[in-house]
Amino acid sequence: MRGLFTIWKKELVDSIRDKRTLITAVLLPVFLMPAILIGTFKFQEYQVTQTETKPVIVAFNNADSAPALVSFLREQPRVSIVDSQDYQADFESGTIQTYVDIPSDYENLFTLQQPISIHVIEKSSKIDSQTATQHVMVLLQQYSAQVGAARLADQNINPQIISVLAPEIVDVASAQEVGGFFFGLLLPMFIVLFALIGGMYIAIDVSAGEKERKTLEALLLTPASRLVIVTGKFLAVATTASTTIVLSLFSMYAAFKFFPPNLGAGEVVVDLSLSAIFVMLGIGVILAVMFSGLLLSVAIFAKSYKEAQNYITPFYLIAVLPVAILGQIPGFNPTTIFFLIPGVNAVFVIKEVIIGTFNSLHILLTIGSLLVCAVIAIIVASKIYSKEGILFRD
Amino acid sequence: MNKLLEVSHLTKKFGDFFAVDSVSFEAEAHEIFGLLGPNGAGKTTTIRVIATVLQATGGTAIVDGHDIVKEPQVVRSTLGLLTSDIGLYDRFTARENLRYFGRLYGLHENELECRIDELVELLDMKGFADRKAGKFSTGMKQKVAIARSVIHNPNVIIFDEPTSGLDVLAAQTVIRFMKRMKDAGKLVILSTHDMAHAKELCDRVAIIHRSKLIANDSVEHILASTKTTTLEHAFIEIVGKDESRALQSADELKHLTKSPARITNSVTMRSWITAHALQLRIASIVLVFAGVGISYVDWFGEFRQTVGYIVIGIAVVVGVVARFLGKKKI
Repeated sequence: MRGLFTIWKKELVDSIRDKRTLITAVLLPVFLMPAILIGTFKFQEYQVTQTETKPVIVAFNNADSAPALVSFLREQPRVSIVDSQDYQADFESGTIQTYVDIPSDYENLFTLQQPISIHVIEKSSKIDSQTATQHVMVLLQQYSAQVGAARLADQNINPQIISVLAPEIVDVASAQEVGGFFFGLLLPMFIVLFALIGGMYIAIDVSAGEKERKTLEALLLTPASRLVIVTGKFLAVATTASTTIVLSLFSMYAAFKFFPPNLGAGEVVVDLSLSAIFVMLGIGVILAVMFSGLLLSVAIFAKSYKEAQNYITPFYLIAVLPVAILGQIPGFNPTTIFFLIPGVNAVFVIKEVIIGTFNSLHILLTIGSLLVCAVIAIIVASKIYSKEGILFRD
Repeated sequence: MNKLLEVSHLTKKFGDFFAVDSVSFEAEAHEIFGLLGPNGAGKTTTIRVIATVLQATGGTAIVDGHDIVKEPQVVRSTLGLLTSDIGLYDRFTARENLRYFGRLYGLHENELECRIDELVELLDMKGFADRKAGKFSTGMKQKVAIARSVIHNPNVIIFDEPTSGLDVLAAQTVIRFMKRMKDAGKLVILSTHDMAHAKELCDRVAIIHRSKLIANDSVEHILASTKTTTLEHAFIEIVGKDESRALQSADELKHLTKSPARITNSVTMRSWITAHALQLRIASIVLVFAGVGISYVDWFGEFRQTVGYIVIGIAVVVGVVARFLGKKKI
């Protein structure tokens, strides 16, 4: 036991003194990632506000044929009317965003109260053109409704007679639930990511790094058994990865709590119950433990840092891709079998817990599957540490 | 006579290759025993097997009364080995490096601190004992590595090329240390290429060549038997004779294997695959293309795709066999 504790303590101290581990295990998840996320959402908010307040630039063909329509649009607060001789070129240069082609017989058709076909031309490859066109379409429909209502009123008909339905969406989800749904899309992905990133550098350092520094043989010469050596190293990797998970979870939670993003439908309210936090931390730590074992098994094969990074990159993709894809499929309801797949199961359980669903079977299956996988990974790592060919290959 | 090391028919094989071939020798307390041999002779492998870092394929060794096969953990705590790799933990000071290994050898804190102080004094490390090892010179690293290998005060100490890459002053510190260990009643095994150091330090020497022990005697006897005045000349004489014997045997073997009957008997399937690995790989690539081609050509009618898949399958098997069984053994 003393040997195990000695190795664990040494590897932790060594990793704390290593700037790379500090950056990937502490700095990145605790400060950088929440800052990037919150920053991105705030920038998105700013862009939405800008789009909502910025005037749209409109040009007309045959503006003289429809003075009342042009005047209606000119009175709108977010419309700026300009002249255009060549709308194609003006779209390219960005001097117009949408172009309204009024037919030359507009006035005649208007007087005859006939339907008038108006082409609203946009350049869909430009986002601001799309937004401007949508805004102009809404205004044109408003104008059409106003004129139509006036015509009915002239004939002493109540304009409301043509309104049959007035549908309205009522959202019964609480602000917390909406926040949970939003958080559920992001958080599980980040937990898996940090469980991997947190243990990555220390796993390489304690295995391939030991070979590269040429300290491995001296370590194998001590009375500590291979199992004790591997377990000590594994515990150090697992401790670092778990710490990363815990720190990153608290950091993300605090960031979204104190700087809630506004995604159009009001501010996202993040409010997790104590039991949800407890389950998420538990699953996150067990996930970190499992990944630590796997990372160590992979990194032991390598004889240098560079080689270990080459081995870990595909492993990283294999671990993260299914989680990223399955976790983001809208409306995907995982069956029980999905809760046996290590990594993927953690994502689904965390998603459930965030929105307040506590399914004991799902939680137990996930914990069991992750633990079994972790134990297998440690046994494999310890077997690899007994392979002379792997330890002493040059 | 206190025998601290008894090596008996020690053998280590890597695949079909004998890295150590039935090596036997004994060494005792108050002795510096030299292990000499050219590069690749098997000295380091012998040492690694004795130190239980590698497992013996055959034979055994008794270190300070403990069998390397039956009690590897006890052997490791009674033996100190300075390997030719003198790597240290760069982010740790010299003292922290020693403290870590001392704890792994089971030393208690007070005892460990006293031992570290003693070794710092003995190996002249006061000037850098509390500095991080990352910026140490080779000489400094070597001193810390020596201290690390004897931190647990073992009775048997093995030094593998301890003066390699050191300046004269650092080398002298190491040599003085070995002499002190001998005077303290330890057994020092010195594996070296430096014949001058071997002659100066060793009471007895063993020469390993082509994985076998070809000489084992006191320096005086070896010089007398080879009628030479320096150990270097004696070494060349002994190794040279063994080399010519080995070449003669190889010649005879080559001559014998030229007989057609022998070829038929000795060429195994595996060696045939090894010899034809390249051709097999080319064949597998050709077969893949042939399989794809067959799937599109109407020679086999409705079975064309099945036949195509079978050919591709055979190509994959041939490729895998060539890749994994066709490796040349070292």
